Amino acid sequence: MANEEKNLRELAGRIYDLDEEVYRELGSSLGRVFNGKREDCIEETVRMMHERNQAHILRNELALISNMARTITEHESRHRIMVKYDEILKEVTELPTSFIKVDILDQRMAQLNALNLQSRFGEKDHLIICIGRTYGCGGSEIGFTLADTLKINYYDVEIFDEVLKRLEAEKTSVRDKGGYPYKKGAADNRQHVDEISAFAPAPKSTLKEKFREFNRYHGLPKKDAVFFNQSDLLCDMAKKEDFVVMGRCADAILTNNRIPHISIFITAPLEQRVHRVMEVRGVENEKKAQRLLTKLDKAHIKYYKYYTGRNWGKARNYDLCINSASYGIQGSVELIMRMISRE
Amino acid sequence: MSTPLWLCIPFAGLLFCIAVLPLVKGEWWEAHQPLVVAGWSVLFILPFGFLFGAGAALETVLECLVNDYLTFIVLLFGLFCVAGNITMEGDLAGSPRVNIILLTIGTLLSSWIGTTGASMLMVRPVIKMNAWRRNRSHILVFFIFLVSNIGGCLTPIGDPPLLMGFSRGVPFFWSLHLFPIMLFNMAVLLTIFYFIDRKRYCRDMARGRKPDISKPGTKIQIRGLHNLIFLVMIVSAVVLSGILPDQPIFQDAEGHVRGIHIFGEVVLSFPAVIEIAVILLAAFLSFKTTDPVIRKKNHFTWGAIQEVGILFIGIFITMQPALAILKGMGADLGITEPYQMFWTTGMLSSFLDNTPTYLVFLTTSGAIGYADGLVTTLGMVPVKILTAISCGAVFMGANTYIGNAPNFMVKVIADENGIHMPSFFRYIGWSLMVLIPVFLLDTLLFFR
Repeated sequence: MANEEKNLRELAGRIYDLDEEVYRELGSSLGRVFNGKREDCIEETVRMMHERNQAHILRNELALISNMARTITEHESRHRIMVKYDEILKEVTELPTSFIKVDILDQRMAQLNALNLQSRFGEKDHLIICIGRTYGCGGSEIGFTLADTLKINYYDVEIFDEVLKRLEAEKTSVRDKGGYPYKKGAADNRQHVDEISAFAPAPKSTLKEKFREFNRYHGLPKKDAVFFNQSDLLCDMAKKEDFVVMGRCADAILTNNRIPHISIFITAPLEQRVHRVMEVRGVENEKKAQRLLTKLDKAHIKYYKYYTGRNWGKARNYDLCINSASYGIQGSVELIMRMISRE
Repeated sequence: MSTPLWLCIPFAGLLFCIAVLPLVKGEWWEAHQPLVVAGWSVLFILPFGFLFGAGAALETVLECLVNDYLTFIVLLFGLFCVAGNITMEGDLAGSPRVNIILLTIGTLLSSWIGTTGASMLMVRPVIKMNAWRRNRSHILVFFIFLVSNIGGCLTPIGDPPLLMGFSRGVPFFWSLHLFPIMLFNMAVLLTIFYFIDRKRYCRDMARGRKPDISKPGTKIQIRGLHNLIFLVMIVSAVVLSGILPDQPIFQDAEGHVRGIHIFGEVVLSFPAVIEIAVILLAAFLSFKTTDPVIRKKNHFTWGAIQEVGILFIGIFITMQPALAILKGMGADLGITEPYQMFWTTGMLSSFLDNTPTYLVFLTTSGAIGYADGLVTTLGMVPVKILTAISCGAVFMGANTYIGNAPNFMVKVIADENGIHMPSFFRYIGWSLMVLIPVFLLDTLLFFR
């Protein structure tokens, strides 16, 4: 099985290289067949083959590359590439027509399971902990305490602020939809209290402002431009340091970029969260607090689904799910510490 | 002697090959297209010659080659060359919003530079901006629906059938009456497109795809803009081809259009010669005055025009019996209602050349003897009937890849640039799922 996987990867890699060579020869600035990073594309191709259980996917990709290769005007280059193409095609046609497996084990997921934590991180990899949490469950405090205990950086709204700097955008014009209501300049980063809701509709802008935003965000909706920049920033940071990151679909972003990480989801029963919100935010009305939590949960479910295609809070998406009401803030931190064996 | 129905078999055979061979014998089909086209053409010409005589067969083939195919392919060639010399560079990222804007611009442009012109001009920017995405074939499908077809209904420049109507006495700006219908179709299709594109855009994001937007601000650079002059030159040549035949200087004593005699009754008219000369000159000047780097950046190859040129020569030749039968039967079909005109003209335009189809039904309507309507050289045609014929011929060219020349051009260009375009049948599937319901709405709202 491992050999077969290796062969598939090797073949997908050679197809990627062929596509790159064709594209280089053509000097075109239009679309390529594989239009992402090498590793990403190989991963995607192999994944598709497993998911759809069809060998002909590679053949389809190859056919597209040959369409482009045939348009190379220089005879020698075309000949060289077509020889490579024929060799790869021969190997592809010899592939088994099905990759069905009797075992339920998914190699990709197994590499990420909690029992394999030690082997998950190579020598060059940094320890990255992604924490998703519901509002009012104490998740931010748990994340902050965890980062403090591990002596690593804690990132939440700082990522959003950095992205705004990159985009040269004003904070007032963009909402931090990846985070929770937060008060800039509060003494404690964990103090997520703010009069402006993160998920409130963006303020209305004039036509001139809309044009300016269209230009600033490359024609993308503001929130998408922020998300893409957050993705880039997280991947850059993951190459440089260990950290704990709160929300922002970081788990999905890092998975897509094959960056080792630990994903944790923290929540608590609604009653506990309501009480905590009433205490921390000073909301006197219980119903009001409940409405706020329901609203924030809904907005987060929508946000997470939109950018990741996954269901927020579903156990299958995380390494560890914690009910903070059962462990408390310190208990939850200890539980996580025990899991990552860094005590 | 009327044309027997079985003579349509070569046409059906060729369509079958275009639809099926790329799926089952892709590489063989790529290498042997000219052979297949020649084979089916001969299979039509020989029995036709046997039935009607060698002279009639030669005349029929030359008539369609000289008077229909030549101007058709030269126009396509000219627009292909000129548009290929304009390139857009920049970091605008293909998103549902940007795509809607591009499709809207393309659709509105179609009536003023032709569906082919707009398609060739817009297809590369659309491909380029969406290069970061994996799921993008649907964008080109809707591009074909809107830019390559529906958008061309407002002026005679937009689509050849309307030019034919213009040369038969339909006023140049009459087609602007179709604006509300076009707007309705555009709005419905763009709404459907938005939801499909948004879903696929989210799927791309979920898989970790992202555009390169690392630098703040969008920079767009268009190179080769001077080619717009040549584009205008080509559009003017098309307009002239509709105007000149009516000028006395181009007519003989009997009122026939003067030209170069080829064979039998086949004449290459002087207006057509002028049109061809102007278009070829524009293409030549465009090549001479444009930096080859632009073509390289555009991945400009002759593949698309070559494939369309080969396939359509076969389509033009083998569809002659079908057109002859249609011409003979047009009046006997008993089609008098606008909805009947819309659907019959449309369904036939999906597979046959929409220009003669339009002409057959315009002639049929003109001969019915309506008391009021628009005065044309073919007789009085009620506005509702003319609207239905025009919309049917222009809109339903989008139903298949062969319904309109730019459809195939867009498909081939996309295929050459890393996009998995749907097969012939899957494209028809898109039409059935998206276009036909919209056309049914059109029928209820505008053609009852």
